[in-house]
Amino acid sequence: MLRWIYRFLNSSIGRKALMASTGLLLIGFLIAHLAGNLSLYKGEGVFDEYAHFLGGLEILPLAEFLLALLFVAHITMAILTTLENRGARPVKYAVAASHGKKTVSSTTMFISGLVVLIFLGKHLWDFRLHKEAFEKAPAEVVQTALSNPLTAMVYILGAIALGFHLFHAFASAFQTLGVNHPKYTPALTWLGRVLAVILALGFASFPLIFWLSQGGAH
Amino acid sequence: MSAEKTMKLNLKIWRQKNADSNGSIEDFQLDGVSTDMSFLEMLDVLNEQLISAGREPIAFDHDCREGVCGCCGAVVNGQVHGPDEETTLCQLHMRRFHDGDTIQIEPWRSRAFPVIKDLIVDRTAFERIQQAGGFVSVSTGSAPDANTISIPTRDAEKAFDFAECIGCGGCVAACPNGAAMLFTAAKVAQLVTLPQGKLERSSRVLTMVERMDAEGFGDCTNHYECSAACPKGVPIEAIAVMNREYLRATFLSPEGA
Repeated sequence: MLRWIYRFLNSSIGRKALMASTGLLLIGFLIAHLAGNLSLYKGEGVFDEYAHFLGGLEILPLAEFLLALLFVAHITMAILTTLENRGARPVKYAVAASHGKKTVSSTTMFISGLVVLIFLGKHLWDFRLHKEAFEKAPAEVVQTALSNPLTAMVYILGAIALGFHLFHAFASAFQTLGVNHPKYTPALTWLGRVLAVILALGFASFPLIFWLSQGGAH
Repeated sequence: MSAEKTMKLNLKIWRQKNADSNGSIEDFQLDGVSTDMSFLEMLDVLNEQLISAGREPIAFDHDCREGVCGCCGAVVNGQVHGPDEETTLCQLHMRRFHDGDTIQIEPWRSRAFPVIKDLIVDRTAFERIQQAGGFVSVSTGSAPDANTISIPTRDAEKAFDFAECIGCGGCVAACPNGAAMLFTAAKVAQLVTLPQGKLERSSRVLTMVERMDAEGFGDCTNHYECSAACPKGVPIEAIAVMNREYLRATFLSPEGA
């Protein structure tokens, strides 16, 4: 009965489609996450209120579970596809030139994804798993975490890697899901690139500002 | 047109005795290469010299030498079919090179295209993909009346863009992932764009993709190098068409249940 699903998930196009659709949903999460974080700029009180509102949602455990599922599916498909592709050319070219289409972003998707994953591990520890994260006010937790230069550095690198990842990812996901149209594809390509820059700058702005303000205080 | 000139070239060519042996790059010096020669004629001249010297000539695939058969192809200085856009190797001319140039010539590199000898690779994987569903089932009795099914010009032109694929394998060679998606997609998209191909659209895309995966090609991650390297300029849109045909066949058709 479920043979067709098994076949789909074992096919090149099925895996890519799952990677693309989970990726787009994760971008949706990132937009909401950045929008929420921006409340920090409205003052600590506003941010704390927002964080408490999120923390009080009954649906939160389910939302977190689904979000984790998106990550697991996206990363699993990425690993399977990357392994498959590494094996598809056992003998490399002595000279490998480009025909002008591949980009730094498109050729480093696995590496940029890995950097984002390392950042994510640190981020979850700092704000979700670490005991202190529940003992202080949310804005204070942010302040404590980001005033550590090493943490700030990891967060900035994570944001840059995310930017590189999304620069290719957004438009690529649409192509993978079969959306290629002379009217919309050029717009989607540019929308994806602008979105990548906005999300990278947006997320990098928090560690940058906290780090700089902390540096000034010392 | 500039007058014919001759030049001296340093060639670095992949030599491999057979499928089971390990190959390596061999250096050759070739003098008196005319700028009016095609790339394959340049290799012919080299082979004549090798044969005269009692050495094994360089094996390479070729047939029509008019850019329509899909037989020839090699990676020249890292570029599939050489530096010219929408040009097969046989249509590449030596005037694109300069006196004293070093030219690196390698076969297509793919797990699914094992090297048979020197620059010749086994491309029967493409034939097996084609046989898995790249056809329409029609009665071959009497010739059908012309124009019994009207096809809008736009569709006919679109189908022709996809049908231009000559199956040379350059897309696989150019893909950083060694994927065969542009080839397979060109066939799927060509047939599904026409009314005659719509009857078998679901089974076709499922079996062709299954075959493509089984042959050991990589997965497309949308670098778009394939379409840029394609000597026939098969548009990247073909892959999107195949992707949505595959999703449609999987989720909306009873095929494969």
